[in-house]
Amino acid sequence: VVPGETALAFYKAKNPTDKPIIGISTYNVVPFEAGQYFNKIQCFCFEEQRLNPHEEVDMPVFFYIDPEFAEDPKMAKVDLITLSYTFFEAKEGQKLPLPGYQ
Amino acid sequence: MSTAMNFSNKSFTPRPPDKGAFPLDHFGECSAFKERFMECLRQSGYESAACRQSAKAYLECRMDRRAVFSKMFVLFSSFLLRQLMANEPLEKLGFKDLINEKSEEKPEKS
Repeated sequence: VVPGETALAFYKAKNPTDKPIIGISTYNVVPFEAGQYFNKIQCFCFEEQRLNPHEEVDMPVFFYIDPEFAEDPKMAKVDLITLSYTFFEAKEGQKLPLPGYQ
Repeated sequence: MSTAMNFSNKSFTPRPPDKGAFPLDHFGECSAFKERFMECLRQSGYESAACRQSAKAYLECRMDRRAVFSKMFVLFSSFLLRQLMANEPLEKLGFKDLINEKSEEKPEKS
């Protein structure tokens, strides 16, 4: 992937259960310092996504690496950036306890 | 939340995508385009730059699609029509050079 050029990547998600699952995903970038240069134009994350029983879907991410990455001396040795996603099951109606409020 | 394996206090703050989320392609309407793109990547040794035409074709497929279920309600509720990707001019998605057949590669952001 060339910094400044838009790129497309695919992940695949499968629901192996017999029930529909509603999930939300979030992402992580390693190395940590490279994360500031990682710009997502569009992806499947942050919004609830429904997977039907035994459904398998392709999940695209459309992104680019900020061209300033190439100018940053701290990034000179970085030639591999890893983008990972974690899918969580969304829980409906969950009320998070607010500290100090009852 | 941080999964970085460092012991500092820095935590990774996720940022939302510029143009929001892709709806899922439940019916695999653009899977053929995705396969072509993946095949291109395999053949080029995973050089993203070599496969931008296929990436562009995939995104165009998404922009052209309406979710299949919404076609049933098209008479009554056109507001339900849901594309798999909002229409964006291709220059704004970094494909300006592929449209004009020029060699410059500046991505333009709206």
